[in-house]
Amino acid sequence: MPEPVPAPILELQDLEVSYGAVQVLWGISLSVSKGQVVCIIGPNGAGKTTTLNAIIGVLKPTRGRIILEGQDIAGLPPHQRVQRHIALVPEGRHLWPGMSVEDNLMMGAFPPAFRPRVAHNLEGVYGMFPRLKERRHQLAGTLSGGEQQMCALGRGLMAEPHLLLLDEPSLGLAPILVDEIFQFVAEIVKHGVTILLVAQNIDYALQVSDYGYVMETGHIVLQGASDMLLNNQHVQQAYLGGSIEEPGAYPASQPAQG
Amino acid sequence: MTFVDFLNLLIAALLLAGIYAVMSVGMTVIYGVMKIVNLAHAGFMMMGAYFAYELYQRLHLDPILAALLAFPFFFLVGVAVHWLLVRWLPHSDRPTLQSLLLMFGLWLVLQNIGYLIWGNTDRSILSPRTLALVHLGPIIISSLRLVVFVAAAGCMAVLEIALSRTWFGRSVRALIQNRYAGRIVGVDDEKTARLTFGMGIAFAGVAGALLATLYSFDPDFGRPFLLRAFVIIVLGGLESVSGVALGALILALVETFSILFVPASYQPAISFALLVVVLVVLPGGIAGLWAKRRRLA
Repeated sequence: MPEPVPAPILELQDLEVSYGAVQVLWGISLSVSKGQVVCIIGPNGAGKTTTLNAIIGVLKPTRGRIILEGQDIAGLPPHQRVQRHIALVPEGRHLWPGMSVEDNLMMGAFPPAFRPRVAHNLEGVYGMFPRLKERRHQLAGTLSGGEQQMCALGRGLMAEPHLLLLDEPSLGLAPILVDEIFQFVAEIVKHGVTILLVAQNIDYALQVSDYGYVMETGHIVLQGASDMLLNNQHVQQAYLGGSIEEPGAYPASQPAQG
Repeated sequence: MTFVDFLNLLIAALLLAGIYAVMSVGMTVIYGVMKIVNLAHAGFMMMGAYFAYELYQRLHLDPILAALLAFPFFFLVGVAVHWLLVRWLPHSDRPTLQSLLLMFGLWLVLQNIGYLIWGNTDRSILSPRTLALVHLGPIIISSLRLVVFVAAAGCMAVLEIALSRTWFGRSVRALIQNRYAGRIVGVDDEKTARLTFGMGIAFAGVAGALLATLYSFDPDFGRPFLLRAFVIIVLGGLESVSGVALGALILALVETFSILFVPASYQPAISFALLVVVLVVLPGGIAGLWAKRRRLA
């Protein structure tokens, strides 16, 4: 018996994005339900990061709608979108290396409406990442890779996100830290935050998520419940090393059977 | 050279460094946030000098007080210039030819407005303080330079506090260090750029008003100081406020002590020589050496 589908917090409808003359997203449609973890997987250059940048607003779509909690935000600048409690933890972390850890975190609550709760949310983040509290006066550039990722996650949480966009949270980290980061992700989910996750670590991404989209060359080629995708032949062959003789041999336009 | 001579020169250099820092820091914040090399800075310094001059001539206002009033006045001027002209420039992460040409053109316009209003005669502000001296034992300090230094140091301290303690300051540092990160946490980069431009021009106006108490000026006033500001911000590593203070100190020391070895008429060449040496030896500036630790803005 199917579970009732919760209301979508985010819907992309037919989203198209171009860098100058080069079109990178060709009509992306996806939906993220409240309280879920949804992942986007796919090879490098497929348009995953572009999708997240379009949602947060630093890239302007040439077509399509971005519906957040029932309202089309595609025409709004980033600072007006962030006010609606979406936060992006970007690939490569993008901290401010010359600012203290605490200033980095505080900037996550930059919109004036968020500022009265800065102290309270700072305590929450420090409770989750005690190591950041120890280093709160240190410059962010002096943190280790894992700590920088925690700082980036913490900065995202400072916006009290209803929807957290997570881009490659485990990229470049030692395997032991990857485990740790994904435990934090699981903990964030427990707090009721909806997550749209982009990850190259597909095994992890599909285990931690409820639903997944496979993106290739700017198209969604496959979607489904994460456990289904995990067993999908195309996903197995192209991404999980099920058949390493011919990686990526499937044409992007031909979704495989579940 | 006796030890007292040495101390006198050292203090003269330190006092000079204060005003050098104020005249350079405005260019630094504008460059940092917008990657615009503000050639019109010299024009706004000149306007700042005449601002103090007019207030002194017409209202007998103390030029140091006029320098403080220059801050809000030139802040509004800067915001207006940004709104009218600068915001139409293409956005870029590096200086563009368009921005250089615009700011150079603006400098020429300001200069010619200056000639139109005040002509090309030298002006100066002579207040009772101009010739007063403070004696500290064997050390003699111009009291005017001391007052100018205090005002300049005060401006730098206020800027430092504003950048490190306020939300606006944090957003400025954020945009300087990583513009993309600033945008994704909700910094309105257009608004911050506008306020930063206003702040940079405000510092130019204050510096010009302070300089007007020390030197005579005409509508071309500011040109030699613009060149010095270049040296200072290159020394300081282009984007850091503490670097600017350090660069200003180094240039002031070199200029002051060079009097011992080089005829005064060669002095303008000193800053250029220093610029060339720095660009060749330390392209990241002195501050670049320990930038990772001390990079403030």
